[in-house]
Amino acid sequence: MIRFDAVSKNYPNGTTAVDELSLELAEGGLTVLVGPSGCGKTTTLRMVNRMVEPTAGTVSLRGQDIREVNAPELRRGIGYVIQHAGLFPHRTILDNIATVPLLLGWSRKKARARAAELLELVGLPSEMAKRYPNQLSGGQQQRVGVARALGADPPVLLMDEPFSAVDPIVRAELQAEFIRLQKELHKTIVFVTHDIDEAIKLGDKIAVFRTGGKLAQFDTPERLLADPADDFVADFVGHDRGIRRLSFVNAADVPLRDGPVLAATSPVASARTGDEPWVLVVDDGRRPLGWAAVADLPESGTLADVPLAPLGHTFSLVGDSARAALDSALLSPARLAVGVDAHGAVVGVADAHELSAGTGGTADATRADGGKR
Amino acid sequence: MSDGEPLIRWQWIGDHAAELADYTGIHLRLGLLPVLFGLIISVPLGILCHRYRWLYPPVLTVANILYSIPSLALFMIFVRYTGLTERTVMIPLTIYTLSVLVPNVVDGLASVPEPVRLAATAMGFGAIRRVVQVELPIAVPVVIAGVRVAAVSSISLVAVGQLIGQGGLGYYITRGLQLDFPTPIITAIVLIMLLALATDALLVLAQRLLTPWSRNKVTAS
Repeated sequence: MIRFDAVSKNYPNGTTAVDELSLELAEGGLTVLVGPSGCGKTTTLRMVNRMVEPTAGTVSLRGQDIREVNAPELRRGIGYVIQHAGLFPHRTILDNIATVPLLLGWSRKKARARAAELLELVGLPSEMAKRYPNQLSGGQQQRVGVARALGADPPVLLMDEPFSAVDPIVRAELQAEFIRLQKELHKTIVFVTHDIDEAIKLGDKIAVFRTGGKLAQFDTPERLLADPADDFVADFVGHDRGIRRLSFVNAADVPLRDGPVLAATSPVASARTGDEPWVLVVDDGRRPLGWAAVADLPESGTLADVPLAPLGHTFSLVGDSARAALDSALLSPARLAVGVDAHGAVVGVADAHELSAGTGGTADATRADGGKR
Repeated sequence: MSDGEPLIRWQWIGDHAAELADYTGIHLRLGLLPVLFGLIISVPLGILCHRYRWLYPPVLTVANILYSIPSLALFMIFVRYTGLTERTVMIPLTIYTLSVLVPNVVDGLASVPEPVRLAATAMGFGAIRRVVQVELPIAVPVVIAGVRVAAVSSISLVAVGQLIGQGGLGYYITRGLQLDFPTPIITAIVLIMLLALATDALLVLAQRLLTPWSRNKVTAS
């Protein structure tokens, strides 16, 4: 789809922004370019729509060398979203979104109708159509930026740190919605960020750049976490990559054992028969109620009468990842993760050690929850 | 001034109302057409200076030097070519507007946020279209601020044109001085001030109409 063939960008002052880059980005996929500042990721992005011209090599789009296409025309066929939205302050929201259709010569009416559709698609109320950008919050402006990029329904979308300038809560919201949008639209997206977490959350493939414009590794997020190509990548991915990698392991694949699970109707004495310090008390549907500390149990009665320590949280074998399972183990007073089925009934338990041992070799497992939450 | 002559003889104003109206019209034309011409020159010049930064310092220096030439000298120079006509007044006034208008066009274009410029390019605007449809409209508030200064100063400068007999309401000032008769002088000064104020008010209104987007700033979170 988008192909970089030995592409370099050198500036007259001797700096190399991009060094001999060869990369092939799949159609319909979301490729993240990530790296520290000055690594050439934005330069690489801008070479796709000829905002930057390479000094060597070829960039091609669907098999065509992009230098054969007139730059403004090429750009009208490629959506572009930037960090500070870059909305036109003198145009209403609707006309901002209609920009590219109008440049392509659509009638004003048709362009605005299309813009109204897009406004809805990005989750903004129709009352905003007539407002001006300075009347919107940063997050809202960024949504309009995405809508504007989608104006003429381009197959390719370039996004340059689109969610970096908003606060973390809004960012998470925008990311979630962007994932939903991409599931619907299947655009070929090139996404630049300096945030490895964002890269892992969003990317189908991730290209890690190092300073000097060299490609360090191009891989799936799972592979990147499991098997970084070198120290630079390992360092960049972060010291908690082991934990993050668990996001890509399906909770259904973690090894569980039966564990000390007792019904609330059981007599207290039955909790003392095992050698476990904690027992998990469940109701008659095997739904977990809480943990009981064996050492603190009264002489007699049933477990229903015993004060229970809260569960922390359970993890679901349907839909959760091994990361949720590990978290469940760490938060549990018994240090045991409680796995439940679709009905909330306890399937089994595992401690952190068992979880990590059971998931260690599954780097190629497909994403449990898409890793995208 | 002769003793017993009042500052204002209202009777005189009433008698000369029609003539005063004519001279007011002439004064407006002499004051505002130079601003229009100045704008016609400054916009393309400002665009060039913005695009080719090296051009700006020399252009600005020349505009400022021209502004420092006394109007009397300029009138004397142009009178040789254009005679005792309105053009001889309007050409220097046009030249004077440049020292205000060119910097304001350049500053206005510089006020366009970089992400906006970048986005416009990335959307597929060609260079000329980007300037006309995106950058100039965003520059309007800064440009109009310059137009206001240029218009007010131009309207008050017109009176000097009376040196070559083309001074709009300045006519009444020299007349009054010759006749030792204060009423026309004061009337002319007040009218000139009112013209300047009215023009300024209209420009403020024009800006509000042209840039509805620059108002209603809402700081939504």
